[in-house]
Amino acid sequence: MKISLSWLQEYVPLEMEASELADALTMMGLEVDSVTDRYGFLDTVVVGRVTEITPHPESAGLKICRVDTGTQSRMVVCGAPNVEIGHLVPFASPGTVLPDGSRLETRSVRNQISEGMLCSAGELGLGTDRSGLMVLSQQSQVGTPLASALHLADAILEIDLTPNRADCLSVIGIAREVAAIVKKQLGYPKSAIPAEGNDIAAHTSVTIQSPSLCPRYAARLLFDITVGPSPFWLQNRLMSVGLRPINNIVDVTNFVMLEMGQPLHAFDFDHLDENRIIVREAVSGETFRTLDQKERSLSPGMLLICDGRKPVALAGVMGGMNSEIHDGTKRVLIESACFQPGSIRTTAKKLGLNTDASHRFERGVDPEGAMAALNRAALLMAEVAGGRIIGGAIDEHPGRKDPSAIQLDVRRANKLLGLNLQAEEISDLLRSIEFGVTPKETNVLTVIPPSFRVDVSRPEDLMEEIARLSGYNNIPTTFPPMLTGKRRPDALISAREKIRQILLGFGFCEAINYSFVSAKACDDLRLAHDDPRRSVVSILNPLTEEQAVLRTSLLPGLLETMKRNNSRQVGTVKLFETGKIFIHTAPDQQPNEIEILAGLWTGSRRDLSWHDKEDACDFFDIKGVLEGLCNSLGVPSLSFTAIPPGDCRYTRPGAGAVVSVGGGSLGIVGEAHPEVLTNFGLKQTAFFFEMTLSALVRHIPVGRTSRQLPKYPSTSRDLTLIIDKRIESCDILSKIEEAEQHLVENIILFDIYEGKPIPKDKKSISIRVVYRSPEMTLEDEMVNRVHGDITNNLLTAFHASLPT
Amino acid sequence: MHAQTVENKIEQIKQAALAELKTATDSESVKFVGVRYLGRKGEVTQFLRNIASLPEADRPAAGKAANSVKQFLESAINERLEQVATGQQAQVEQIDVSLPGRPTVYGNLHPISQINREIVDIFVRLGFDIVEGPEVETDWYNFEALNFPKNHPARDMQDTFFVSADIVLRTHTSPLQVRIMEKQPPPVSVIAPGRVYRCDSDLTHTPMFHQVEGLMVNEGISFGDLKGILTAFVHQMFDSRTALRFRPSFFPFTEPSAEVDILCVMCRGKGCRVCSHTGWLEVLGSGMVHPAVFENVHYDTSRYTGFAFGMGVERIAMLKYGIDDLRRFFENDIRFLRQF
Repeated sequence: MKISLSWLQEYVPLEMEASELADALTMMGLEVDSVTDRYGFLDTVVVGRVTEITPHPESAGLKICRVDTGTQSRMVVCGAPNVEIGHLVPFASPGTVLPDGSRLETRSVRNQISEGMLCSAGELGLGTDRSGLMVLSQQSQVGTPLASALHLADAILEIDLTPNRADCLSVIGIAREVAAIVKKQLGYPKSAIPAEGNDIAAHTSVTIQSPSLCPRYAARLLFDITVGPSPFWLQNRLMSVGLRPINNIVDVTNFVMLEMGQPLHAFDFDHLDENRIIVREAVSGETFRTLDQKERSLSPGMLLICDGRKPVALAGVMGGMNSEIHDGTKRVLIESACFQPGSIRTTAKKLGLNTDASHRFERGVDPEGAMAALNRAALLMAEVAGGRIIGGAIDEHPGRKDPSAIQLDVRRANKLLGLNLQAEEISDLLRSIEFGVTPKETNVLTVIPPSFRVDVSRPEDLMEEIARLSGYNNIPTTFPPMLTGKRRPDALISAREKIRQILLGFGFCEAINYSFVSAKACDDLRLAHDDPRRSVVSILNPLTEEQAVLRTSLLPGLLETMKRNNSRQVGTVKLFETGKIFIHTAPDQQPNEIEILAGLWTGSRRDLSWHDKEDACDFFDIKGVLEGLCNSLGVPSLSFTAIPPGDCRYTRPGAGAVVSVGGGSLGIVGEAHPEVLTNFGLKQTAFFFEMTLSALVRHIPVGRTSRQLPKYPSTSRDLTLIIDKRIESCDILSKIEEAEQHLVENIILFDIYEGKPIPKDKKSISIRVVYRSPEMTLEDEMVNRVHGDITNNLLTAFHASLPT
Repeated sequence: MHAQTVENKIEQIKQAALAELKTATDSESVKFVGVRYLGRKGEVTQFLRNIASLPEADRPAAGKAANSVKQFLESAINERLEQVATGQQAQVEQIDVSLPGRPTVYGNLHPISQINREIVDIFVRLGFDIVEGPEVETDWYNFEALNFPKNHPARDMQDTFFVSADIVLRTHTSPLQVRIMEKQPPPVSVIAPGRVYRCDSDLTHTPMFHQVEGLMVNEGISFGDLKGILTAFVHQMFDSRTALRFRPSFFPFTEPSAEVDILCVMCRGKGCRVCSHTGWLEVLGSGMVHPAVFENVHYDTSRYTGFAFGMGVERIAMLKYGIDDLRRFFENDIRFLRQF
């Protein structure tokens, strides 16, 4: 909300600088976003003297004036009738931005250069007169900035109000806080109308048919008014906070709303059928044309202000075209009402119509403020529009409530805040912002919050006020007794941290991608039609198509990231990510959230250096990462099973494996399918893994037990076999493990060879078997025997042969 | 041959061997010396064999002397072998030490994770437990239980992504407050990091970002304690010269509520672009847990009080690393990630 310093000063004496006030308000909970100079736009406008006038050769209405600006002599084309040699007038230099938004430049006016502009009061937003130049006093100094010549100074504070402080949506509301800060009395504007009878009853009536939505409706009548422009002081107030003056009647309603926080509406009384007001809910199918000339479709729950026959205003939101104040309006009905905040908010939201009035009603308008604002408006209208106030006011108040008292336990307040205030000090603080306080018993106060503080109803609300008023920074800093953590660190959280650390050690960087993806990500990944990851959670109000659904795989994000890097000439990308995927369950239910660990490797295995060639990474690089990770985590016996063609549609056929432990799947590892690469606009292949984090974590041993180190030496034997190409290496290794288990300590596959002289459908495989006994030093003979047995076993089991 | 001469003889052999050893400068020639004196046909060996031909009385002394020389030479040769080997190593040709080493590259944790870890670690040291919760929340946990009534302007403070009328992407980590208190009786002290979502995207907003939430509930917890914990946090996260300022604010689920500003870490309060020339940076929202929240989790409000706070991880990361574009965090440009 914008507020001007000079307007504030009408209600509270203030000797602070604007910036000082801004700080003080901020520390009271009214955060000031900015302080600007109200007349900043006049910085380039100075007092100028007209020294010479010549007629414009091409236009009878224009004159060419030479203007002394104090430092220079400028030529200005001017059309004002009252320009005279010797006059002091405002001169606006090129670059000036006028209040109407236009920017002045040096330009040619009918072939004559004009280096700026001589201005009227209206053009400078300093008055209403646009008929001629603003002629300044001869006492002014030529060249003086106009603002100082006219003693214009004001600051505009932009306050970022929190939604609870409805009471501060007005100048008086802020002034009240300021009064508490500077410890001065707040001066309210006059709003008493002398004894006046009850003539109004003869002219109109108000019927509230929906008292729950309209707890109060007050009205007054003004007759014989003259609609016209407001006086400058009124226009200036509105303009200072960014409102456009319209006419004296409407300006007064806006002024009083800004001043007192009570939204008002003025109806042309002669356009109210049957000259009466009915407040009722809209019915389905009803439509209404609001002041902004839009036809609105209404629904039940929206509140309407109607005359005897038709709706005339959308209650608390906007008035209607049909009863708008116009130049010929003679009689006015002023509405000052209270509406139920929730209903106004619903209506405004549904219609997408957020107005100054709805903003205030949504947050809560002072239910006791209606009459004061109504009277203030009537008095001002009579003053600026020359009308006559009809005696008496209507005040339908079905929602009248007695103020409720709050019992405040002083010791509890002190304990919660960490303060040590006396009951009297607390009373003084609360009274400074108009709370009623009476001591009830020792250390208990009965507090009645003022009606405009609709946000205060609990003792804690009062404690906040006490803290705020005594200053948060005056509360001593203390330290609570240490609560040592009660729970064991969550296994998943600590495992995740460990996994991150291991993958970092393998040279992977961590990525964090958005949880949103495009709805077509599932297609891009070629997910099967019955893949559960097709059950996406859609966002009802996504920001973009690219962020329309929640991800069901981490791959799209990683592939997008790879593309972004590739397009920036980063060819090698080694990334991992941990994060959730979201699988839709049922409408209006939370989805299943499953945390996934995924990694992606594309480009080279190692950076080019004098040690190594820049080889491209392959399946075994990423597989090695998984093995290394699991090994480091202590996950036992990982197995990799080739994915049958067609089972996973985003791995390249033949280059994908399911990773499992003891029959339970952890995830998959593989090379991306070429079509997937195309779908993501990628030109190079990528290897990836994705694992369900909880499944992986389940296999991490909780504790570890140390083993004895071997006492006796080991001995090893190498073995090379020629076998069928299609035999998987793991079958051979497990065959060896089966035999003589207690002596075989380790099996290392150290060479695979295909090609000459090995027959075409065969491969040679070389294995080192390490033997060790825990009980003795193995003798050669024994090892040879065991190794011979193993060899023979393999030869038979796999129809293998030995190299020749 | 007299015993004297015998002993002289063996002594001469010994001296000759030692002299030769001295001149042997590589292991080959040292070994050669060994063979020449101690080998099968070596001089000492020959001498020993010849002892049988000596007069009986001289034999013991000669044998003794010869064996002692043999032992002496054996150890001298071994010693010389070691000397020579070390000497050889020391003379190996100079390598170009300026050549780059074989690359071993460590990865980089995402800056958000690093800051997140730093924040969480501080609170863990202060006795807080880490908890996590769902990112897609019900209206109840995200709003209602936190005292955001339906249809209240307070809901405008957080632009919400909806999945359905009643299911939202959590707009803050605060639902964890309710979830934890539902599960656990007081005392509670937890820290809850996580992703949150708001329907907003520009230079200073991304639709997804990270928060860390904290909650402490016990008997006698005061606003002063809130200040204490957060001061300790800021001093550890930044440095102990970083002043704090607590400012009244409004969050539906705390009362009193406070925004916490820290003295601008860039200009130390002088005023700069980062702090919009105010000298202060807003880094935390906080407050005493609102009694309505306690009522929703059936905590005894007459007995327990507590405080809660929350902060944006990106904000702190930007300050600590001097990052000026929020979107960088989610582009995952390797060249960016490599900087942290």
